[in-house]
Amino acid sequence: MVEGPFGIDPVLWAVLRLAIAIVLVIALIMNGALLLIYLERKMQAVMQDRIGPYHVGPFGLLQTFADAIKLIAKEDVRASQTDATFFIAAPALVFSPMLAAFVVVPFAPPIVGADLSIGLLYLTTLGAMGVLGIVIAGWASNNKYALMGGLRSAGQLISYEIPQILSLVTAVLVLGTLSMVEITELQPGPITNIFVLPLAFVTFFMAALAETNRTPFDLPEAESELVAGYLTEYSGMRWGTMLALTEYGNVTIVCAIMTTLWFGGWNGPGVEAFPILGILWFTLKTYAFILVFMWIRATLPRLRIDQLMSFCWKGLIPLTLLNLGVTAALLLAFPDTLVPVAIANWLLLGAFALGLPALQRRRLRRIRARLGAGAMPAPRSAS
Amino acid sequence: MTSAVPLGAFIAVSALLFFIGLGGVLVRRNAVVILMCVELMLNAANLAFVAFSRRFGLVDERGSVFVVFVFVVAAAEVAVGLAIILAAYRNRPTVDVDEIQRMKG
Amino acid sequence: MFGLLTVSILGAGLAVVLAPRITTSALAMAFAFLNVAGMFVLLGAETVAAFQVLIYVGAITVLILYGVMFTPQQPRAYGLFFQGQTPWGALLAALVALPVVIVAFTFVDAGVALEPGNDLRPLGTSVFRDFAFPFEVASLLLLAAMIGAIALVRREREIEEPPGAPHDPQRRGPRR
Repeated sequence: MVEGPFGIDPVLWAVLRLAIAIVLVIALIMNGALLLIYLERKMQAVMQDRIGPYHVGPFGLLQTFADAIKLIAKEDVRASQTDATFFIAAPALVFSPMLAAFVVVPFAPPIVGADLSIGLLYLTTLGAMGVLGIVIAGWASNNKYALMGGLRSAGQLISYEIPQILSLVTAVLVLGTLSMVEITELQPGPITNIFVLPLAFVTFFMAALAETNRTPFDLPEAESELVAGYLTEYSGMRWGTMLALTEYGNVTIVCAIMTTLWFGGWNGPGVEAFPILGILWFTLKTYAFILVFMWIRATLPRLRIDQLMSFCWKGLIPLTLLNLGVTAALLLAFPDTLVPVAIANWLLLGAFALGLPALQRRRLRRIRARLGAGAMPAPRSAS
Repeated sequence: MTSAVPLGAFIAVSALLFFIGLGGVLVRRNAVVILMCVELMLNAANLAFVAFSRRFGLVDERGSVFVVFVFVVAAAEVAVGLAIILAAYRNRPTVDVDEIQRMKG
Repeated sequence: MFGLLTVSILGAGLAVVLAPRITTSALAMAFAFLNVAGMFVLLGAETVAAFQVLIYVGAITVLILYGVMFTPQQPRAYGLFFQGQTPWGALLAALVALPVVIVAFTFVDAGVALEPGNDLRPLGTSVFRDFAFPFEVASLLLLAAMIGAIALVRREREIEEPPGAPHDPQRRGPRR
């Protein structure tokens, strides 16, 4: 039992710590998710040349709170044949791993929930646990659309775990440790890991887009597809929890991982003098990535489930495996320096970025040739 | 606190879980439930491995290494087992092991 | 903490065997996996606990739930869940269990317990140095299992095509 400050009784201090943790979770994480919903709507409005919410509160900041209150006050509609226990348990099963993941996120040198020596493995594991909640949600709704949506979503999540984990493994090969705090401390200067492993970053970014069900991979939750998939029977706060809070919480976690592994986490000018400044740099970097996520959502169209799966299995997984193999081989061949790894990674990234459009163009040409000249209009100049 | 729990207690839990799983395999009719009970038995074995490895101070974690291989085997076995069950279900829509006896006799 | 985990594990195990609905069995199994991971953490093997949750709860439970969903059966009376040899099977299991559990309690550790945590590096070193060959064989096993599972559930598609017919892009051929 830990002796509390001011000599508080240890048992009382334990209870007090639990209460403080619950308050912090509700305040920071929930509010963070609500703020992200507002940010998303504003970003999409800016991109679509309109204003977005501006009635409620200054600049519409309280809009999401109003939405949350409406969701909580909504009637709890439940179809009669649904599996009661699982229907109620599914949002909790989807939400809890996301909450538990915030424990290892390193905000600033003194501010980490717990410096686990297997921090990155822990985050990966929690990502895998979310799949279970979605399958149960689809099953418990007793609704064919929900079941199919749930299974499709679970399939997407499981498939994209593989490139995600492989990218992380490549990064860990170079960094040498799984602990999030140590990874941040390994990148003090302006030359952070992004210069060494850009391809791993790009593949992790794409896999993370799919893992958090963001466009262009948001087939399971899109309103126009499959009647909102596994969420069909959920309304009110159940929907709010499962969809909005979990998704934006997951987005925050994934962006935090990207910041920590490739961009130096809390490092920035002035952190050695004032460690608390780390929070500012960490938050800025994480929110930069979150804004990029939202930018992509406002811009790109959605992929179909078979396009999505084929991109994963025929595109991302061979790419990440190749990256892993090349990095491992180069690290063995040149154990002291990271320059060969960096060169190889940038070359692979260039090949990927330039090769993918060329590949698509060849496929398009082959399809056109197969269909015959009269089947489709002649391609425009630059295809 | 970890050294307060004797090793024998962990092994006893592992043995009990194993025999609950074994009883399930012998007793239940549904093939998927039998597969689940086999997974319970594998978990019990893992628990025993890790308990022995950590409590006897094996620095190179050999028990945990074996556990990793058991994970691999269990995953492969569940995949193939479910494939077999689904293929059998396609023939006759039942997973009742008492009824799938076409090969008998 | 150990007592709580023990009760949960054994309770979940009994739920898997005795539960009337198969979905309850599946979720009790997932709960048992989580509790076994807790036991691993109690023993100080954090990496193995993380792998347990990742593989068992994250993947195997989902596989079993898929299996449950794709094999629906009519609800039956509770007695029909158990095979014909239930009394003999249960008796055998109980009879063999009793001496094993009693013997299990007599194990004592050498008094040299490792301090909790820090099991990642020795684990990795062992797997990739001393046990590198079994590691490769395990990967081959996974490959064989993957191919076997896919081959077992393939459906063959029929192709009726008179010879000389023009190529039709809508024709359903064997899966590419």
